Parts: sequence; structure tokens; C-alpha cells
Amino acid sequence: MSLNIIFREKDIPNIREFDVYSKNGGYEALKKALSQTRKQVIDEVKASNLRGRGGAGFPTGVKWSFIPQDNPINYVVVNADESETGTFKDRQIMENNPHQMIEGALICAYAIKAAAVYIYLRGEFWDVAHALDAEIARARKAGLFGPNGKLKDADGNPFKVDIFTHLGAGAYICGEETALLNSIEGKLGQPRVRPPFPANKGGGLYNEPTVVNNVETLANVPWIINNGAEEYKKIGVGSSSGTKIFCLSGHVKNPGNYELPFGVTFRQLLYDYGGGPLNGGEFKAILPSGGSGPILRVTDEVLDTPLTYDDLRKFNSILGSASVIVMDDTVDIVWVASKVTKFFKHESCGKCTPCREGTYWLDKVLDRILAGGGKESDVDLIMSVAKNMQPTTLCAFGEFAANPTIWTINVFPEEFKAWVDGSKKPAEEKAVARPARERVAAAAAPAGD
Amino acid sequence: MAEQKLVTITIDGKAYQVPAGENLVDAARNHADNQIPVFCYHPKMAPVGMCRMCLVEMGTPERDPNTREIVHDEDGNVKVRWMPKLQTACTQTVSDGMYIRTTTDQVADARNNVLEFLLTSHPLDCPVCDKGGECALQDLTMAHGPGKTRMVFSEKMHLDKIVPLGDLIVLDEERCIQCARCIRFQDEIVGDDVLAFHERGRTLRIITKSDPGFDTYFSGNTTDICPVGALTTVDFRFGARPWEMTSVPSIDPWDAAGSNISLDMRLDRDFGGRAMIKRVMPRQNEWVNEIWISDKVRFGHHFTRAEERICAPLLRNNGNLNEVSWTEALDTVAGVLKAANGDIGLIVGSGASNEDLWALRQVVNGLGSERLGAWPVTHTGGELIAQVGVGKGTNLGKLGKGDVVLIVASDIEEEVPIWRLRIKQAHDRGAAVIVANARKTRMDDFASHTFRYEAGKAAHWLADLKKSAPEAAEAVKSAANLIILTGAEGLTLEGHAALMQAAANLLIETGHVGKPNNGLLSTFPGANGVGQYYLGYTPEQSVAMAAKPPKVLLVAQADMLADDPSVAAWLDKVETIISFSMLPDGITAKFAKVVLPIQSFAERDGTFTNGERRVQRFYTAQGPMGWSLPLWQIANRLGEKLGQGKAKLSAAAVMKEIAASVPAFEGMDYRALSKVEKQYPDVGGASDSYYYSGTACKNTGGLGVVIPTAADKGETVKAGEVKLPAVPKAGKGEFVIIPSTRLYNREAQFKLSTVVHPRVMVPFAEINSADAAKLGITSGDVVQISANGGSVRVRANVNGGAPEGSVVLPRHLTDEPVPMAITVGQVSKV
Amino acid sequence: MNVIRGFATTFKHLLEEPTTLNYPEQVRPFQERFKGRHHLRRYDNGLEKCIGCALCAAACPADAIWVEAAENTDEERYSPGERYAKTYEINMLRCIFCGYCEDACPTQAIELGHEHRMSFTDRRDAIYTKQMLIDPVPEGGRETPQEVEPGVFTRPIPDMENPL
Repeated sequence: MSLNIIFREKDIPNIREFDVYSKNGGYEALKKALSQTRKQVIDEVKASNLRGRGGAGFPTGVKWSFIPQDNPINYVVVNADESETGTFKDRQIMENNPHQMIEGALICAYAIKAAAVYIYLRGEFWDVAHALDAEIARARKAGLFGPNGKLKDADGNPFKVDIFTHLGAGAYICGEETALLNSIEGKLGQPRVRPPFPANKGGGLYNEPTVVNNVETLANVPWIINNGAEEYKKIGVGSSSGTKIFCLSGHVKNPGNYELPFGVTFRQLLYDYGGGPLNGGEFKAILPSGGSGPILRVTDEVLDTPLTYDDLRKFNSILGSASVIVMDDTVDIVWVASKVTKFFKHESCGKCTPCREGTYWLDKVLDRILAGGGKESDVDLIMSVAKNMQPTTLCAFGEFAANPTIWTINVFPEEFKAWVDGSKKPAEEKAVARPARERVAAAAAPAGD
Repeated sequence: MAEQKLVTITIDGKAYQVPAGENLVDAARNHADNQIPVFCYHPKMAPVGMCRMCLVEMGTPERDPNTREIVHDEDGNVKVRWMPKLQTACTQTVSDGMYIRTTTDQVADARNNVLEFLLTSHPLDCPVCDKGGECALQDLTMAHGPGKTRMVFSEKMHLDKIVPLGDLIVLDEERCIQCARCIRFQDEIVGDDVLAFHERGRTLRIITKSDPGFDTYFSGNTTDICPVGALTTVDFRFGARPWEMTSVPSIDPWDAAGSNISLDMRLDRDFGGRAMIKRVMPRQNEWVNEIWISDKVRFGHHFTRAEERICAPLLRNNGNLNEVSWTEALDTVAGVLKAANGDIGLIVGSGASNEDLWALRQVVNGLGSERLGAWPVTHTGGELIAQVGVGKGTNLGKLGKGDVVLIVASDIEEEVPIWRLRIKQAHDRGAAVIVANARKTRMDDFASHTFRYEAGKAAHWLADLKKSAPEAAEAVKSAANLIILTGAEGLTLEGHAALMQAAANLLIETGHVGKPNNGLLSTFPGANGVGQYYLGYTPEQSVAMAAKPPKVLLVAQADMLADDPSVAAWLDKVETIISFSMLPDGITAKFAKVVLPIQSFAERDGTFTNGERRVQRFYTAQGPMGWSLPLWQIANRLGEKLGQGKAKLSAAAVMKEIAASVPAFEGMDYRALSKVEKQYPDVGGASDSYYYSGTACKNTGGLGVVIPTAADKGETVKAGEVKLPAVPKAGKGEFVIIPSTRLYNREAQFKLSTVVHPRVMVPFAEINSADAAKLGITSGDVVQISANGGSVRVRANVNGGAPEGSVVLPRHLTDEPVPMAITVGQVSKV
Repeated sequence: MNVIRGFATTFKHLLEEPTTLNYPEQVRPFQERFKGRHHLRRYDNGLEKCIGCALCAAACPADAIWVEAAENTDEERYSPGERYAKTYEINMLRCIFCGYCEDACPTQAIELGHEHRMSFTDRRDAIYTKQMLIDPVPEGGRETPQEVEPGVFTRPIPDMENPL
């Protein structure tokens, strides 16, 4: 059932190189799109049911259609910040099949009449950015875009959109689109108040309407233009069309990126592709969308759930960016809550009160519980603090940051109870947690299959 | 005022008509008396929605999908579709049909929770905190916050408590609630973007980006708008608790802006148990200074109670000044004046109040002299201000798109900082700001166009604007409103007269007179430069006296010897000098026969006429220093001795007489001057401190009354002839000396505020790099500059600040005087 | 009969201990909560508890207290935290010994003691200065101002009770 829309390097070696990519039908989609009207392109993407792969799952075509076509300057920003815990798909795309994303971005640029495309990469991706710059330069030299672009659009105007990469400084919050825009503008990476939304005048990059799309989303676009929306809809199930790259990490034998059609179940992913539990343990919990999402206790019902945007809703869960982190029974869930909360405390930008203070507070109390100083009331306290954060924060980060606490307490109350009633003690915790931490770290390293 | 479009919004089930486009927090406050709590929002700045305190429920009426009709429920009430999440009110502008709920449990919980979050790591400093008692966080916690803490104290975040942000402001990082008001104030309102956030998350904190730290003339305002006690001034730190102080309305004594201020007074052991100025706060006057003041106004108050003050009348005997009684001193002066046979001159500095000017004038006129000189002799053209000055109703805060402000020959940031701040904001709103000067000034940073002319040729440039600056001429022609602001930098007195005439002509020609937001402004030095003109004092008279010194010269509140090296020579020729002075100066030391101690602005009542001709009252705040008296009272008593009638009992009575005698002041009395009206944004009372935060800046002292110009009254104003003056030419080996103004300087009064000393520049002069190369001078070298019979040693600054062939020499930085008007002189390396 | 009864009462009282005391040679013990003249307390290390917050002055219904504050430094430290009372005066003629100052004090620096014998022949003598009010330095402590290690005494209110 291997269909590589995005990971084409598996079928065609060295497709990351411009020559190889162009020989294998590269940039044909761009040319095809340029021969159509902008509305046709947007409608095609709309019809394909392509949804944002960055986590929110917003229909891409609809997003594009928000951009006012009469505005003289619009922008496309590619969100390659990829900072969600357990996500490592965009890096693989950019390293192994960068031109497909570039082509998708250019199609988007044409469709929304953009003046330029910015690819925002997290600071740690400096080497990726170097390679990307080289490939962009090759394509630009070939006259596909940029100031010397030779292609003409449907109206006969030359297609001169240019692409630039921009390195961030390594902040999780800059994956949030408005913080990302601030960062490109050279401002502090803090989210902006919405409305105005990035698609509105006054809300986007340099106050101009802007489309912000994930790398994976845009990499899907050339295929849709080439093969048509109808073909695309045949892949996947229901309203979740196409393939999705699942970033599998944690206690599985074969962690890595798996491009699979929507509808594959957890069981297939974890056992067929992931190879089952590492070290013969039992699966205990799944984080289906990285640290920011919910946590699920592994049951047969969960394992047999198809992975689509809609099916996970029955557990109040989301698919997110599909960074699936699996944990076996050696893992202490309170430790997980603390660990993930520490991450969010570290990454909170500090702009709005509830998130700045709440993440710090949660972390302190969780630390205290793990040090053996917890009281029964502390579990209620952190639950209450987390719930107070969610409705009051400025951006979605605050909601994400409260999630690990709320979900772990709801799903694994017994583990918290064990800590606060004294049946679990710090010394014991250390013996369990240390190796687990190392294994998770090792498993999180990006590796293809 | 154009008719404003109204929209209907419903707050807590009650409908209100509010002006379209208004911010929701403001609208709820102004029209519905609903105080939505805020920390980061400030009515003077763009909202950011950071603190999350203003969360409200928001909704829109449900509409039938087919008919677009508003759906009603069974009871006939509008069905409202409420947004699932709470919205920040500060980031919303009101729109028709908006529904708001502020009293539901959801909103109350949100407020409670946000406060709990803010308090988790906020230190329990209230007893020692300078803001305690006027703190937004305290007030809102009492109103909406949790009664108990759930945070374990040892888990609180600890950050540095004493972080100096520059020499004047101290930051307490723990108290900071990261609302960014200070950062945004510096960035949006001042344009000195010197503060920033550093780090992120719970360690997010304020830093200064400039060197020296917090390098701006407006830093004190950040302590006012700080909603907590995170920012404190070095001057006031631990000075008093807010409830212990009494606010006395007063007026900025330094410059033509006439900023409204409050003197916060409290008794103090160190001041003999008497009421002492503990701090100077801005007082809201949207026409004048809004709610901002410069740091000079805020920190420059120490002279009012300085030990150096002259506290008793002094009489010179055998070359020494000895303390005498008022009777003896006044008798002596009366005797001297009678013996002069009318050969009397009077020179008054620009810090004297209208009452002082009037009372002194009565004495001199009564003795048959009309020689009333204004000091310093830099700015003139008061008669043009009286004709085509900015129209009645002018508000620099209302200038915007389509309007033009033309600034000629002024370093406005150093001369009148509040004007610079307000014109900068006008520029941000779209007004075209045109700056012309012989050198680069700070205002260039906020200018749409900048122009350079040859030193001294400002009037030449402006009179022939079409040729010298076609773009400027074009902009002026098409301006909706036009204000021309002149300074006297690099000009002689005749040069400034010509510039004023050229400016008046341009205004008259383009029809920009007699209307609000149109007309002429000038950076007259001191608080009452314009008042001097209206009461009959001119700088030309002072110049005439220098040419033909009178037998007896009365010098009031003018440190003449510090203003120009050439003054000493002609003062020597005066037989008797009587000085009215607050502080010892060159005249009291060497020249004065009698020194009469006068009171500072803080010790008495009075009025100043600011640059926009607004007559404003200041009130008695501090007790008198020693036996000093108000200047007007001394004059009145002197008049009594001279048989000119009984002395008035109060400044108010003097003002009544002015109003009866001087047409410009017609109808003005202290009651009229102390009238206040509701201003927007509404500061409210002290209990509303959270809105503006800190002290409410409430104005109880009056908004003042503007003297109408001739053009305002509908009189025809005619363009006059511009008498282009000769421009000093530097001969071989000479340089043109351009004196400039520095806000922070070593003037006798300002020098006494030691807190500002670290911010006062070492004496320096700007030298052009080409000239510097010829003389072998590099930045930092000591150079000697000689002109007008004096010489000073200063540090050279070769930084592109001076045009070739000239030296920009700041006044009042050195102990010895430097020329006050453009001249030529020698420069040599020491 | 009534006469005997009357004398019996008299004799009974003759044999009882007298309720009066030879004040001032003899002083009746005070109730623990008696409110006499004020004391400014010190910590064991000699630092003053008073932080100059003037809340006592604010609470005083008779306006008898006058506080002026100044800033501590680690070179010259009077009290923990940033602020100390440079001037602390109580006008004993005005004081009504209500104890509100004690209630208002966040550091328990001011306490009403048992001393009640205060008389003055001059109004000025009724003003008790800080030097008169403050306790002597306890054994092992040092006189203020002290030179202390930086960063130790950063909190004006050193010990706060945690929530339950």
C-alpha cells in the first residue's frame, strides 16, 4: 500500500537534485497551473479536500481564497519551523524532495497573486537551509521563477515571483503563524492578536495579506494539479483526502516517517510499520499529535481507530501534525506530564499572562509532586490552573500547554494518585525514568525506514 | 467638529449609542460607565491584547440565513450568537450590533484567573512599593481578584529587584507584569525606541537597548503609565506613600510648551518639617501636553528648595552684600529709582509670570521710563504671533493626514520637547513634517522632508521657498492645515525677526491664518516668552539698552551674564543695578547694588502664557524660602514706596488689573483660568487609576484660556516686508559659531537638580570633519573657542553635526558664557 | 442583731488583704494584652523589623505617627528589603493607644508594650523618635546600619506563610 506522493525519493533516487526532479515531470504542475486562471487553481485545490498538514487541518483551498486578488502585494510564507515535539517530516521533505515543496509554493504564489515566497525554517535547520538555497538557486537559474523568470501566466505576464529562505532563532512559538510573521519582520517572536488574520490586509507579513502553509501541505499541491482533484480524493477516506506523513517515535522497533493514506489505523501504524513494542514491552499510551495534543490510553478501540481528521474526534482528540509518540509501560505518566510541561514552560513566549505564568506554575507543582512533596490537593490545583489557562490565552499555545496536564490527569488519574498519596517515591521514579528518557531521545532522532 | 457616526452596541443587555470606530474599552467607559479592567491597554497607544484582563463575552445577533433578518426568541428579545471564547475588549473597535457581556460568571472567572496568574510571581512588596496605594494591580485585585493565594511562596519566580535602566529610572524585574506599556510608549509615542523585551516566558523582562541606558527625554512618563511599581524614578524612590501627598496644580517653568503639571507635596523633616515637592507629575491637558511631560520638568524641580537660594534682601556696602530688612532694601531701591530721573531700564527674564511683568512695568512706567527689555535676546516677532499665531482651538494632537508642520531653525527636541513629541505623533498620523536647519537635528528622524540652508540664512530660505525648496513649497500650498514653527538657532535677533516675518507672510499668502491648527509658533525660551510680548517687553529694547545703557537697570530673573560674554562690558557702564533674583548669579555677585530675593513658581500663584498663547495658572505649593517674596509683590511694594498706589494683596488682583488694562487679557481672571471641562480620554478620579494607571493625572487646576490672534478675531492681516539680515561671514582662520540649545544643561536653576547630572553632557562643540582635519582635531580633543570677547574650552565632537566652516556650540554647558546668537570666532586645539 | 451583723461585716473586711496598692512602689502585673507605649522591634541579627512602609501612620486614627523612608543598601542596611524608616516618630500626646498601628504592621515591627508612665513638661518631649522607640540590639546582633553580604536580605517581609 505504498503510494509516495511526497516521499518520491523512495521511487526515484536523488530527486532532491534539480536535474533529476525536472527530468521526472518536475515543474510541469507549475506550468500547467500558470496556463489556468487563478480561480481555476484555487478551485482545484479546494475540490481536492487538501487540508493543512501543520496541525490545524484547515482546508487549504479555502485559505487561499481568502486572499484579496486586487491587493497589489500578497505573500506566501512556508512554515518550515517544524518545532512540534515528535515531528520530523518537513525536514525529510526539504532534504530529499525540496523541489516539490518549492513548486507547490510557487503554484500557491501564482494562485493568490503573491509577490514573494518566504520559507521560514527553524534556526536548527541551518544545514537544510543551505541545501535548500542551493536548489532554489538552480531552479531560479533555469528561469522558472525569480527576476529572470521565463514562464508566462495565463494573462501573458511573466512569472517573476521569487523565493527566499529565512532562518528563525529556534523558538517553538515561531511555528505559530503570526509569531512566525513577526519573526520574519525582525520583531520579537510573539503571536499577534487576531483579527486581523494573516489573510487580511493589516494582519499578514508586513501588514499585507499572506498565506501561511506547512511544507507538507504545499508538497501535495503539484500532485493535485498534475493528477486532478478527483484522483486525489480517491486516496484516503471521507473528508480526509490524500496521504499523510506519520512521524512515529517512542517505544517502537522502527520509528520514522511513514507516508500513508488517511484511514490507516493505529494498530497498522504501530505494529505493521512500527514493528511493535520495543524491548517486548506493552504499549501504554499514545500522544497522537505530539506534546501539544491529547494523550490516549492504548486500548483495542484506540488501536482500531482509523487515522483521519474526523475519527479521532470521538476521543476528543485531534490528528494534528500526526507526530505519533508511543510509550510502553515503563513510562511514568506524571513524568511525561512534567516533561512536556517543562518544554512548554521553556517555549512560552511570555506575551500573555495566563501562558507565561501558568506554564511556570504547572511546572513548579509537577516538579514538587515528582520530588515527593505533592499533596492530594495539588492534582486539583494543576487541573484548575490548566483549565484556567485555556480560555484566557492569546494564542493556541496556551491551550496546547495546558493539554498535557489536563489529559494525563483525566486519562491516568491513578498515576497521579500514586504520587500524591506517597505510594510512589522519587527514588523509585529515577530508576524507571532514566532509561526511558534515553530511549525516547534516541527514538526521536529522525530516520527514514 | 464633524458629526460623528454613531453605532449601537449592547452592553449587559442595555443598548448604547457610541461613536463608530471607538475602542470598546473606551466606549464602555465613556458612554456606558462600564469599567472594563485593563493592564496593557492604554488609551494613548495601540492595543496589543497581552494582559488578557479585559476579556469579555462578545456576540452578534443571529440572522436568518435566508432573509438576513435578525432572529428573535419567544420573548421578542434578539437572539445573540455568542462567540465560544472570550474576546479581549481592548482589541475591538465598536461596530453596529455588537453585543457585550461583562458581568457573567465566565467573565468574572476570567478576570479572577488572570489576576491569580499575574499575582503568582508578583512579589509581596506592596508595603515598600512606591506604587502601593495607586497601583492598578492592587485596585483590580481588590475588585476582581482572588482573596487567597494558591501559589507556594518558595515556588515564586525571583528576578533582579534593582536594575537601573539608565541614570533616572530603576526597574524591579519581579514587579513587572510584562504589559509592554513602557516599551510601546517609547516606540510609538516618543519614537526613541530604547526599551525592549529580553528572553521569553517567565523570564521575559525589560531591557534598555541604548547606550547610555534609557536615552530619552521622556523616560519619567513610563513610571506614570506603569500599572505596577516596576519602574521608579531615582528622584522619587521611597520618597513618600501616594496617600500622604497633596497634588498642587502647576505649570512647567522651563519652556514654551507650558506643560500642565502637579506638584505632589508632603511635609519633610529634611526640609524643616515643611511641605516639599516630592515629585512632579503630569496633569492632563489634551490641548497642551496630553498626559506627558519631559524629564526636565519632572526632575528639574530641586531649585525651588535649594540651599543656594537667596533668602533675604541684600545690600552692597563697601563691595560686600549684607542682609538687610525688606524696609531698608526697598527704601534704598526707591531712593535709587527716584534719583535716576527716569533714566531707568528694566530687563526681565522669560521665567517671570504675567503678574510679575505687569507689576514691574507699572513701577518703571510710573517713573517715566518705557524701556522694557525682554531677556534673552534670541527670539522676537511677538507681534506676528499676536497676529497670525496658531489659531484659537489649535491642538497639535489633532494634526494628521494632509496637514503640514514646517520647522525652521529649531532643534525642537532640545528646545520644546513636548512639541517635538506631539509633532512626531502628528507625523505618525500622516502629517507631513518638514524640517529645515543648517545642521542635522533629532527632528530629522521624524520628518517627511529635510532641508539644509547656509548657517544664518533661515529667512532667506523660507522667504524664497519656491526656489530653495520646491517640494516644501508644494506641500505647503496643498496643506489642509499648516503650522510653521520657528526657532532661532543659528540666527541673530534680526535673523529671527526676518524668519518670523517670512513665516507670517507664507501663512498669510496661503491662507493658513485665523483657523485652528494653522498659524505661527515659535520656540520662545522660558515659560513666559510670549507673555513678555503681550505685556510690552521686547528683546529689541534690551539690545537698545546695551547700546545706550541706562543709569539704573533693574534685572529681574535674568541670568544675563551666563547668556553671552559680551554682556559684562555694557553692564559695567550702568551706574546702579538692582537685581531681583532667586539664586546668586554673575549680577548679584559683582554688579548689583541691591539684591531682592524672589520666589520660584512653586511658592506662589501666577500665570504663564505659553507658546500657543494659552494663559495658564500655577498655584502655591511650597512655603517661601526665607524672606523671599513674589516678584509682583516686590514691585507693588516698591510702587507703594514710590507713591504709585497701594500694593495689591494677591496675584489674582494683579491679574484683574491686567485684564482691565491689556486688551489681550480681556475677560481673564483666575476663575476663568481654572475652569476645567471633561477631556477624552477621560482620566476620571483617582479610583480609576488602572485606566491610565498610577496617578490619574486628573486636572483640577484649569485648562487655561487662549489669547485670540488678530486673525482669529477676523481682522485683516497683511504680509510685511522681510528685512533679510546680514549673515556673519567667517574671515580667514575664523569660524561661524552656531550656538545651540541643550535641554539638559548647567543653567543656574537646572544645575541644582543633581539627579540629572549624569545625563548632562560634558561641554562639547560640533566641528565639521573637513575643518577638524585642517586643524588636526579629532573627537574628544579639547578645543578653545573664542568669540564675543569670551572664550571657552570644550571637547570637540567630529561627528557630522556641523556644516563646513562652522562650529555648533551648545549654550549653558560651560561655566563661562558662550554667544547666544550666531557670530564668528576662533577655534584652536589646546 | 442588725448591729452585730453590721460589725461582723466590718471585722471581716478588717482581716482581709487590702485591694489597694502602694503605687508607684508596688505595681500590679499587667494583662498580657495591655497596650502601653510602642516599641520598634529588631530581628535577632540586629536588623530593624520596620521597613518604613508608613501603613501604621495610615492606620493611625489620631495621626500620631510620622514615617519617612529611605533606601537600604548592602553597605548600609537597616532592615531587610529595599526600604527602611529614616524617620520614625510617635507623638504620645496624640496617641490613643488603640493599637491599630500594630495591626497594620506587615512585619510586626511596632508593638505596644506595657510601659505607661509617660509625662512631659514640654510638648516637644512627647514626640518619641526612632532612637527612643527602638529596642536595644539583641545579644549576638549588630547595630544598624550593618554592612551585609549582598543578595541575602532582599525581601522586606522575610517569612510568609504558605497556603494550605
